[in-house]
Amino acid sequence: MAVVRGHVGAEAPRADDLPLVDGSAMFIADLNRDGQLWARVVRSPVASAVIVGIEISAAVRHPGVAAVLTADDVPDVQIPIRLPFAATPECELALQPPLARDRVRYVGEPVAVVLAEDPFTAEDAAELVALELEERTPVLDLRAGSGADSVHDRLPDNVVNRVPMVCGEVDRLFATAEVVVSESVVVHRHTGMPLETRGLLAEWEEGEGRLTVWGAAKVKHFNRQALAQMLDLSPQSVRLIEVSVGGAFGVRGEFYPEDLLVPLAAMRLGRPVKWIEDRREHLVATNHAREQLHELEVAASEDGRLLAFRDRAWCDQGAYVRSQGLLPALLPALQIAGPYAWEGFSIEASAVLTNRTPVGTYRAPGVTEATLVRERALDRVAAELGLDHVELRRRNLIAADRMPWVFDLGPQGEPIVYESGDFPGSFEALLAQAGYDDLRAEQRGRAPGGEAVGIGVSAFCEVSAVGPFEQARIALEDGRFAVYVGVGSVGQGVATVLGQIAAETLGVGLERVAIHHQDTADTPEGFGTFASRSTVLAGNAILLAGQDLRRKAAAALGIAEDTLDVDLEYARLAPQRLTGEGTFEKEHPSFTFGANLVLVSVDRELGRVRVERHLVAHDAGRAVNPALLRGQLCGGAVQGIGAVLFEELRYDRTGQPEVSSLEDYLLATAGDVPAVEAVIIENPAPTNPLGIKGSGEAGMAGAPAAVANAVADALGAGAESLALPLTPARIRALVRARELNAQPEAS
Amino acid sequence: MDVLRTEFTLNDMPIEVTLPVRATLADAIRSTGATGTRVGCEEGICGSCTVLLDGRPARACLMLAAQARGREIRTVEGLAAGGRLHPVQESFRRHRALQCGYCTPGFMMLAVGLLEREPNASPERVRAVLASNLCRCTGYAPIVDAVLAAQQALAGEVI
Ligand code: FES
Ligand code: FES
Repeated sequence: MAVVRGHVGAEAPRADDLPLVDGSAMFIADLNRDGQLWARVVRSPVASAVIVGIEISAAVRHPGVAAVLTADDVPDVQIPIRLPFAATPECELALQPPLARDRVRYVGEPVAVVLAEDPFTAEDAAELVALELEERTPVLDLRAGSGADSVHDRLPDNVVNRVPMVCGEVDRLFATAEVVVSESVVVHRHTGMPLETRGLLAEWEEGEGRLTVWGAAKVKHFNRQALAQMLDLSPQSVRLIEVSVGGAFGVRGEFYPEDLLVPLAAMRLGRPVKWIEDRREHLVATNHAREQLHELEVAASEDGRLLAFRDRAWCDQGAYVRSQGLLPALLPALQIAGPYAWEGFSIEASAVLTNRTPVGTYRAPGVTEATLVRERALDRVAAELGLDHVELRRRNLIAADRMPWVFDLGPQGEPIVYESGDFPGSFEALLAQAGYDDLRAEQRGRAPGGEAVGIGVSAFCEVSAVGPFEQARIALEDGRFAVYVGVGSVGQGVATVLGQIAAETLGVGLERVAIHHQDTADTPEGFGTFASRSTVLAGNAILLAGQDLRRKAAAALGIAEDTLDVDLEYARLAPQRLTGEGTFEKEHPSFTFGANLVLVSVDRELGRVRVERHLVAHDAGRAVNPALLRGQLCGGAVQGIGAVLFEELRYDRTGQPEVSSLEDYLLATAGDVPAVEAVIIENPAPTNPLGIKGSGEAGMAGAPAAVANAVADALGAGAESLALPLTPARIRALVRARELNAQPEAS
Repeated sequence: MDVLRTEFTLNDMPIEVTLPVRATLADAIRSTGATGTRVGCEEGICGSCTVLLDGRPARACLMLAAQARGREIRTVEGLAAGGRLHPVQESFRRHRALQCGYCTPGFMMLAVGLLEREPNASPERVRAVLASNLCRCTGYAPIVDAVLAAQQALAGEVI
């Protein structure tokens, strides 16, 4: 047997597909424990009210009901923020209790939990819980300020934080600019919407004092810590287990009220408790995302050089600050400068509370909103200057020889550093693959036939591979190399990619490696799966652990390391109980370049947008598995298309959600989208040995912006603000408005 | 709670379940331990729960279990035969038509139902039928490719 190389960069098949295609994979709904009860959450029917009373007696008397819990039955705790840098003292005043106490603040807020012998009974009994509520005027306007009612009495202006950032001499740059353009963009509320809703199953073993919870995802080590603290248990006695996860996209796996309520009920009642969210609940209970209002001013010179921008943003946090803290306001601020050589900018982003479902992070958080805002504004600058959209970007992308690029935020802020990349080169690769000049010719050619054809581009710089660290441990177990990591798999194929890295490092076949990430009982402490960090952080930790194992094995056998075949020596090594350990630390996040190009046609009569081509370019540093990477990019881009064309979580004037099923919340279907073309660029990252950059979110980040720009281009509406999403009704209104404007000239 | 006994055929096996009257066909199938039929919305939109009902694709969440009395149901568990995956299953793997896999059984049953009844369906027809189910991960192109390739494979087998 020879040392096997070449796994990294190969299109290895996914390790975990078979159970998913034969139906045997176990998702949380498929798990049951003997004697389990079912939980059903009673939720607030109104957006803002004082709780006068909760009458549970009818529900308690209902046959088959084991218990009904209200706030008085749960510890007086709140869901903590998992990232210290995303917390402020104001945030601490707006954390969510597991069950509402005294006040309800959004439709869907948990107020009680019914435990019953079966899910039907639990649902029936939940309807028997009577809430006496004194309604208050809900806060729904992001700019209501202190004149409005308050979501939390201790925060009268409804603002939990302001994020100021200043780089360079912004006022001077604006004063010298020949062109100044302002754009106001409202990014609409939408969210991850995984096809599997959330669910949990908890079991308490009184004798051993052990709590087991199935159904974790994303950040299971943090959640274990938080849960243990709330229940007054040691973290070692709490075990969180990840089973198959039907999509997460950032919203699934954060600590939600149910993550306390279900285990708590299991402990109180001494029986396992199962909870499966239904879709209607999911639409109000699981994190929403994206809603924010930006007012952006851009200053440019006559020859198309971008000088500076000012961004004022109001970012909806919803009714509580949840586990991801201020990220909904911080992340757009960090990413709105994008890949351009600005001489200065100023940002003031406010994180605002409203009486709507709390906002969290959805795939490519912040960068998607920021890119939409900036790239819309850049098209206006281009229109103002009479410059091609692509040309404007070409003139302003940061040149490769100016890397690393630093935006100095002065003494108060940590600088934003782009450590590497070739932005112009990557952008040109996208244009070449698209055949940009031919597309422009095609657009002109189709115009006489009355077709509205548009081309849109967007470029962005995405923060990814966030630290602080990940650990890996490799042991010789059950005849294989067992690799333990603390990140999670949420359906993105991370086990396959990590397996490739482990096999490459050890010099063994893929089938000789087993990746373990599911169980907090046997995996090292990890920070989880978000910010496209799993492959970068855990991958490099595995590299270090693999090298450590090889070193130890060589020493143990007295063989030179470079000739050691660990697989061949497996039988001699296994009894020695060697383990390879690796910790990869990453102090600073990395920024990665990406860009999109989209060709659309718009049916002016029906208002329907057809995305004919969609290309997404992404600098992956190094593609560990190009096929899986393409899958991430294409899947993300299609989510982005759906986001800008169809998806919206609307609320009415009383704070009632107008979307209560997937019939109202429209996801893109196979009939709505083209086969997305991925352009993979590999400029290795200098800050990790494997050279990889995060890739899980890049498909999404620039897609809505490029589609919006393409639609504007098709309608000749480059200089107008677009209301999102671009539904047929809105497109028709836009067409009508333009026709009305055009008429006086025609007559 | 009122319960009802229902008999139907599941993947060629006679099945008898006793469930609350309001249980859906999806509940009934899943109660037998065949949990490959996934539930994503319980209201007929997502198609995760698609099964074959007397050979036609149907949303198992939209029917009561009682309505399945005497009918023939096929689910993902019935696709593989003789220790071999069905060509549609093979094709989904080969074309990377799944990421999280939650939508996969529903899509495969939809495809099998289509290809059995319309082996010569045009690519446009295939795409139109596949537009009846939702996938949040793949962006659909790999699913369409997988079904078109499976169509070829099945045609080869028949000849
Ligand atoms: S679960 Fe049946 S269609 Fe969604
Ligand atoms: S693969 Fe996840 S929903 Fe289709």
